[in-house]
Amino acid sequence: MEDKLQSILEGAQQGAKDVATRAELEAFKARLVGPKGELTQVVKGMGAVPKEDKPRVGRALNEVKKTIEALFQELLEGIEEKESAARLGPPLDPSLPSPDGVRGSLHPLAQVREEICSIFRKVGFSVVEGPEVETEYYCFDALNTPSDHPARDLQDTYYLPENARFGNISKKEDERYLLRTHTSSVQIRHMLKTPPPVRVVSPGRCFRRDTADATHSANFHQIEGLYVDEDVSVKDLKALLDYFIRSLLGKDARTRFRPHFFPYTEPSFEVDFSSSHLRKLGSEWIEIAGCGIVHPSVFDAVGYDREKYSGFAFGMGIERIAMILHGVDDIRYFYQNDFRFLQQFAR
Amino acid sequence: MKISTHWLRRYIDLDRTPEEVEEALTLIGFEVEGVETTGLPDLNHVVVGEVLSSEPHPNADRLSVCQVSVGDGGEARTIVCGAKNYKVGDRVPVALPGAVLPGGFKIKASKLRGVQSEGMMCSAGELGLEDVADGLFILEDRPELGTPINDVFPGGDVVYDVEVTPNRPDCLSHVGIARELAAYFGLALSYPDITHSLTPEEDDSRERLLESVKVEAEEDCPLYTAHMVSGVKIGPSPEWLQAALMSVGLRPINNVVDITNFVLLELGQPLHAFDAAKIGGKKLVIRHAREGEKIVTLDDKERSLSQNMLVIADAKKPLVVAGVMGSVDAEVDETTTDLVLESAYFRANSIRRTSKRLTLSSDSSYRFERGVDPRGVKYAAHRALDLILELAGGRIEVEPIQAGEEPVLEQSIELDFEFVRRRAGFDIPDKTISEILESLELQVTRRDTRDQQVRWDIGIPSFRTDLESPIDLVEEVVRIHGTDKIPEAPVRCAGLDADDDFQVVFNRKAAEYLAGQHFFETFNYSLRSGEELERWFSRAASDSLKLSNPLSADHSHLRWSLIPGLLDVLRLNQHRKTGGVRFFERGRTFREVSGEVLEVTSVAFVILNTDQIRSWKTREAADFYTAKNLILNLASMAGVDFSVADLQPVPMANSAWQEGHSAKVGDLAGGAEARMGLLNMPLLRTYEIDGTVIAGLLEILPQKLEEAPARPVFRPFSAYPAAERDLALLVPRSEMAETVRRKLVAAGEKATGGRFALEKVSLFDLYEGQGIPEDRKSLAFSLIFRSADRTLNEEEVNTAFQAIQDDLAGESEYRIRK
Repeated sequence: MEDKLQSILEGAQQGAKDVATRAELEAFKARLVGPKGELTQVVKGMGAVPKEDKPRVGRALNEVKKTIEALFQELLEGIEEKESAARLGPPLDPSLPSPDGVRGSLHPLAQVREEICSIFRKVGFSVVEGPEVETEYYCFDALNTPSDHPARDLQDTYYLPENARFGNISKKEDERYLLRTHTSSVQIRHMLKTPPPVRVVSPGRCFRRDTADATHSANFHQIEGLYVDEDVSVKDLKALLDYFIRSLLGKDARTRFRPHFFPYTEPSFEVDFSSSHLRKLGSEWIEIAGCGIVHPSVFDAVGYDREKYSGFAFGMGIERIAMILHGVDDIRYFYQNDFRFLQQFAR
Repeated sequence: MKISTHWLRRYIDLDRTPEEVEEALTLIGFEVEGVETTGLPDLNHVVVGEVLSSEPHPNADRLSVCQVSVGDGGEARTIVCGAKNYKVGDRVPVALPGAVLPGGFKIKASKLRGVQSEGMMCSAGELGLEDVADGLFILEDRPELGTPINDVFPGGDVVYDVEVTPNRPDCLSHVGIARELAAYFGLALSYPDITHSLTPEEDDSRERLLESVKVEAEEDCPLYTAHMVSGVKIGPSPEWLQAALMSVGLRPINNVVDITNFVLLELGQPLHAFDAAKIGGKKLVIRHAREGEKIVTLDDKERSLSQNMLVIADAKKPLVVAGVMGSVDAEVDETTTDLVLESAYFRANSIRRTSKRLTLSSDSSYRFERGVDPRGVKYAAHRALDLILELAGGRIEVEPIQAGEEPVLEQSIELDFEFVRRRAGFDIPDKTISEILESLELQVTRRDTRDQQVRWDIGIPSFRTDLESPIDLVEEVVRIHGTDKIPEAPVRCAGLDADDDFQVVFNRKAAEYLAGQHFFETFNYSLRSGEELERWFSRAASDSLKLSNPLSADHSHLRWSLIPGLLDVLRLNQHRKTGGVRFFERGRTFREVSGEVLEVTSVAFVILNTDQIRSWKTREAADFYTAKNLILNLASMAGVDFSVADLQPVPMANSAWQEGHSAKVGDLAGGAEARMGLLNMPLLRTYEIDGTVIAGLLEILPQKLEEAPARPVFRPFSAYPAAERDLALLVPRSEMAETVRRKLVAAGEKATGGRFALEKVSLFDLYEGQGIPEDRKSLAFSLIFRSADRTLNEEEVNTAFQAIQDDLAGESEYRIRK
């Protein structure tokens, strides 16, 4: 009996050398421990072993069983290793470029617009949008701009034909459609549907009938802000723009308010900043925005109580700010979309 | 507008440096666009000195120690000098302690290498002149010792080019700007005096130069005055007058014309001088031009006038386009002896209209169209007459003729100083407010109301028509008080229950998603050409997208799609070999739908498939299904669910999309629409792009994006295991997979009878070809059954699965593929 076990074990150890695949392993297993396997026969024969020999033979049987199980395990691991080596192939070259495309990116103007919006969101502004095709009323009349104001001239503003019909852009009366020259029109539409207090910024595309050059573009982008509440003052306006400019251009940025004229604000200011932060520009004053206290006539147009409420508005050009922030010296780069330009802003 | 410092000094004692003046102008609202310095700047403590002796410096080889006299009592000063070009006895400019040289260089008495130096001998460059030679500026004319250097070289001036905003026509003059500076610096303003008597001694003795002035267009000319001067002598203006005009860029002509120009730039009132002899019929008529009437203006151009243009005519013909420009016919020239001087008030809109129609602008029209001061009409005439009598001689023999009356533009505004402080947001004392207003020549009157309140009546002079209401006065106070005095403050920021427009949120999500899918965002122009529009739709472009005043043919129409712009981007990048092949844009486009245009929010992307971009390892190229996936994901971000709508082949033949390889879903009238797939290859060739382009375009009405989609609400799902069955069907080739899938869903609903659910039916295989009839294809679906409340047993699933198969095989052309 014990000899038999010994020979089974030796036979198994010999036979294991020929096992290379899972199928061979299965057959090998069946030969030994299957229903008719060599070892199974031995187990079946245990009944015939004399009682006094049973413990000894039993131990020997267990020993051989364990050894053979270990052999199976070893064979299986060997096969798995071979299999995965075959699946993996040779070691790769980590320096090869990935064939997948580079990461995409938002356009620099979109990034700057978003950065500006975020700065204002932090102090309670929300972002609103409005149509690019506007009417004379929302773009000019409601903004206290007289009908003979030069900005309304055919030389400066794009108009649509008298009979143009825009299904989803409302008119006040029978005024003409035009391409908005600023996003202040969004503020008018917003105030008409929202009672004060109001705190919004409206970014968007604007149009002026300019010949394109390094600083002028057939269309450009603005962001305008509006704050209406009780007792809003020049001091509040300055505080907000100081905050904005420091957030955008660094803590050392300084601002200067220059009195100016806009029909829809009074008093009106142009805002300059200076920041040692920006190379080259040094201590020069650079114009960055226009602003002012909302003219009471604008409140009349949208039905706000001019005695009870006051407010301020401000506006700035996104291209201009992007040019300052990124050192871009020609506005046309933004609209050319050369991949080498766009990629520089992937971050 | 150019403002000369010398000229300003006629009215204010301006003792500030050019830098201070420039800053002041800027801070009170007159942006300085340029500063021009001519001659010597103002230099205090720089005088003429003479070198009495020169010895080598004991401690420095390159320096000398000079004794210099500046004539102040004879005592010589010791000055250390590094220059070599002088000799003893030369006269040179000497900067004494206290002088500030250009560039802010302050002169102090100090020791140089151990020798006390009491000033500096200067080179021309150090004085702000051009350096003519190395070393000291030798004054060859030997001016008197101690003479201030500015007296030796008079005529230095600083000229500021200031921007005057359209609301401030009163500042289109030196006196106007002087008034502002006086208010800011706290200086006194003196108006020019009238020194000659302008009253004729007797008024009937002679033949009158002009018999009548008749205003036929009172609406456009409320006030017209004509003054007559006889016996003038036309000649060149004196040097001071010529210099003044030249300093601001005007060419001197003759004394009378120069005087009218001078007064215009001094007071802002345009004047016109006629040669009296050239006024036909001795009468002036202020009337509207006759249609087609001709005039040759002073710029030597013949102009054809039209009916609403105001002219000053004599008995026969127009002599002046009123307020704009005179004609050669009544010009004052060297032969002129008798003058008629016009000073008038024309309506701004009349002059603006005429100037625009004629595309002719002048210093005069520029001022009239912004509004002149009617109260200044008479004073300006007197000022000019005074100068004429002074510089050209002549006599005033008759009273002037006046037609019309001065319009009254003065008004009064009631102001609560508390309102000023509230709008400013900080404290400004009553006294300061009233001083500021008074410094601008506003009349401030205190009034106590019955209820113990203090109110102030502010009298607004006729030249400040921009001041109409209390808020305008707030601006004046803040401006003159100084915007640098607005205190620092924390940002006001109380909570507000408003969110970003959903439109904005969607745009941001869409862009971030596409960027994450390797796309680069682009910005393209909103205006495209009509030619392209025609090419795009293969038919004549409708006019509904056309601008009425385009600047160029390339930019004449509103963009109807984002795709053309993106194709431009692909072309540019392909031609430049930049490697960019995936781009997107988001923006507004304009779609014509049943006779009207809709402004829509669009997102579009393009992917260029080309062999030109090579890679060592090839990924599967993007195809229709790439675009479909991107579009459906974008739509779901907008809250638009296209999965319930059918994707249909893009219908139009000759459209922008390749037939059989593209699809359309949704309908703009219903709020949203999308197209995706392969772009039309012939159209692509017109863009000179090599390769194929997979694109997607999602268009949504902004109105559809007003409300954010509802917050998702949790729906409980079954905890029991699923039973899965696979089913392959042979269906006609033309049958859309989605049609088959829906039939399976319907059959499943019937088969399960609500006892449990056919939870999901999804296609996992498509096979056409060998082993399958030519007009058929095989679609394999996975069916997942599940119950909400128990584990399904084999039998019930099999029964349902069989019922589904029977259902499909029974009523359609479909065959089960075993």
